[in-house]
Amino acid sequence: MTRNRDAILRLVGYALFCAAILVVPLFVDNGYLLNKFARYLVFGILSLALSLSWGYAGILNLGQAVGFGLGSYCMAMALKLRTIPIQTGAGGLPDFMVWNNVQALPWFWVPFHSYAFAIAAGMAVPAVVAFLIGWFVFPARVSGVYVAIITLAMLVVINLVIIDQQPYTGGFNGITDLTTLKLFGIEFDAYSDATYYLAAITLSLCLFLGLAFVNSKTGLILQAIRDDETRVWYFGYNVAAYQNFVFCLSAAIAGFAGMLYTLVMEFASPTFLAVPISLSIVIWCAVGGRASLVGAALGAIVVTGVQGSLSDTPAFLDTWMLIMGGLFIVIVLFLPNGLISLIDLALGKRRRGRAATAAASVVAIERSESSRRQSAAR
Amino acid sequence: MGLDRRKFLKGTAAIGAATAAGFPQIWIKNSGLAYAAGEIKVGVLYSLTGTTAIIETSLNQATLMAIDEINAAGGINGAKVVPVVEDPASDPATFAQKARKLVVGDRCVSVFGSYTSASRKAVLPVFEKYNNLYWYPTLYEGRECSKNVIYTGAVPNQQQKDFVPWLVKNFGKKFYLIGSNYIYPKEENNVCKILLKELGGEVVGEEYVPLGHSEFSSVISKFKETRPDVIFSTVVGDSVVALHRQYKAAGLDPKKMPMASLTTSEEEIAAMGGEFAAGHFTSAPYFMSYDSPENHKFVEAFQKRWGKGKTTNFVSEPAYFQVHLFKQAVEKLGKKDLTPPAIREAAWGQEYKAPEGLVKIDPDNSHTYLWPKIGEAQTNGQFKIIEQSKEWVKPLPYWAYPGQVCTPEGLQQKKA
Repeated sequence: MTRNRDAILRLVGYALFCAAILVVPLFVDNGYLLNKFARYLVFGILSLALSLSWGYAGILNLGQAVGFGLGSYCMAMALKLRTIPIQTGAGGLPDFMVWNNVQALPWFWVPFHSYAFAIAAGMAVPAVVAFLIGWFVFPARVSGVYVAIITLAMLVVINLVIIDQQPYTGGFNGITDLTTLKLFGIEFDAYSDATYYLAAITLSLCLFLGLAFVNSKTGLILQAIRDDETRVWYFGYNVAAYQNFVFCLSAAIAGFAGMLYTLVMEFASPTFLAVPISLSIVIWCAVGGRASLVGAALGAIVVTGVQGSLSDTPAFLDTWMLIMGGLFIVIVLFLPNGLISLIDLALGKRRRGRAATAAASVVAIERSESSRRQSAAR
Repeated sequence: MGLDRRKFLKGTAAIGAATAAGFPQIWIKNSGLAYAAGEIKVGVLYSLTGTTAIIETSLNQATLMAIDEINAAGGINGAKVVPVVEDPASDPATFAQKARKLVVGDRCVSVFGSYTSASRKAVLPVFEKYNNLYWYPTLYEGRECSKNVIYTGAVPNQQQKDFVPWLVKNFGKKFYLIGSNYIYPKEENNVCKILLKELGGEVVGEEYVPLGHSEFSSVISKFKETRPDVIFSTVVGDSVVALHRQYKAAGLDPKKMPMASLTTSEEEIAAMGGEFAAGHFTSAPYFMSYDSPENHKFVEAFQKRWGKGKTTNFVSEPAYFQVHLFKQAVEKLGKKDLTPPAIREAAWGQEYKAPEGLVKIDPDNSHTYLWPKIGEAQTNGQFKIIEQSKEWVKPLPYWAYPGQVCTPEGLQQKKA
């Protein structure tokens, strides 16, 4: 019954983590700090999204920031349309469009007058973009490092398009000068408890729903694909469809994180979907533990937190990047499964080898396969 | 009794004023704290790492040098200026984060920072929300009117009003406009086109290359095709280096078809090598070679503090003098109510004998009166100054948009 005990322990761990992030505002009465922590939590969600596709399905997406950035722009567009432009007064075009001599609101901006549409688009647009990429990549059985290259290239392309289409996107400066979001009578000011709770609750929901997902049958199949793709094909599963599904799901979650990020940062910028942040997500995931949702989230929080406090400390002003680099190397060398594996070590558990877990997930699938065949035979 | 009636009245008046204006209460506490410790905290927010680190490091150094000078001369009203240095790593999001730390966490009364417009736009919500004050030294595209920023760099009218007529007179009326693809070059070119129209000039080409672009062969073949009299360049960063090198490699001659730039400074020339820049022109309020006692002192002090080969440029000079303007503003305030809004009001109209000449913060729009100059690049990497404005030039951030005017209350529409 150790499997059961493990599952319960894990649930308790997740619950403790969520409780910890939810009580923070009770102890911190400082808008600036709450804002900073909310930012870390948003990164946590983003990292968790990558863990779903990379840690659980073996799809290394170096373009994870695409979804994040698109979500961020969707929210920024909605907020921008509700900002009264100082240049033209109420009812005028957003300021950067005036600067670029745009005469009328572009058609794709129009529906963003509605918050409901914007929030739906913040998840749907990243998912659709991911679907299109996935539709080309997965059925062609592209895998491994090639997926990484393609997603990275897509990221660069979308980033360039956004910078280039300055009249519609604000170009290099991004979309700035935004109003605060008001929904259901709550004002999501960047420095408020409300925004922090929004981020914390979202992260908690993602953790539990994510946990349920990875333990569902689909989740198991995905893990089997990660461990032995060919074998799962031979079972008759449409591996590409499963891969594309988790790829889209991950992008949609990243999109939601992007929307939160706009609320926390009060602007959207093409740097939100640039290469540096996209690679950072991979690092957070690796440092925390990519095959654990809470590990990935924790990785993001720890890395960005340490980064923030190191670079805030005058003594490390010149060396903080060097120190961060050193820490990454140490963790990757000595804790290949990330910081989360420290908990297993502390509990005195021996890590099962990767081969063993691989075998286990495939065996699980085989078992369900054979039972299916048996029932079909009956 | 420690608390006499006058002090008490003054104190309550200050609190009254602050609440009336709606400042977060933090500032009342802060000003008290700042003086109790005999310190005035200011933020220094220039990237020390990342893509724009080279130029921003020179801004950081100029700022720190000015602060040292002020402290060496006894500080401001007996209080020491304490810089809180942050590294925003050339990333707008980090800029916003660090600005929050400086304004809310460290309770700085002003922050000196930013090179790119993108980073300024990213920190603006923080300064507007907390009614703090940002000192921005870079030349920029204008068309901004925030009451929480003091702009000490040039706006388009200051760089172009004399430059474009001078180019037309000396070289001809056919201009080719080449810039990096973002808001600054587009705005500068809007202004250039208005000036050219007045002078009967003509734009034979207008093109924007992606930031960081380094392949100019197609652009150069267009130069050869259209034969402009002047190539008007607002290309920035590494692209400047590539453009100049490829221009020379293509066998073009600066005597017949010079590049006239608003963005090429001593820093870019050092990166490309003097022989590639020689013969091209730049318009700016400051060049390192400018002959004035203040500038000699500035260059000498800068090289003594940061290294012999170091260059000063038209961004590091404002980064330096704006700290002195800050000092004068705080001095004027005396010991009471040291709040960012009070510093802003005290800063309006302040004059300072800067390396480029006597500058003044325009009380109308928080930008700065400057002394435009035209320089011709030399093979030794310096500029020969061939023209300079006879008087300081008023900053007009909305020069190209006659309907709009920047006022201390923010942007206003002129009534027709």
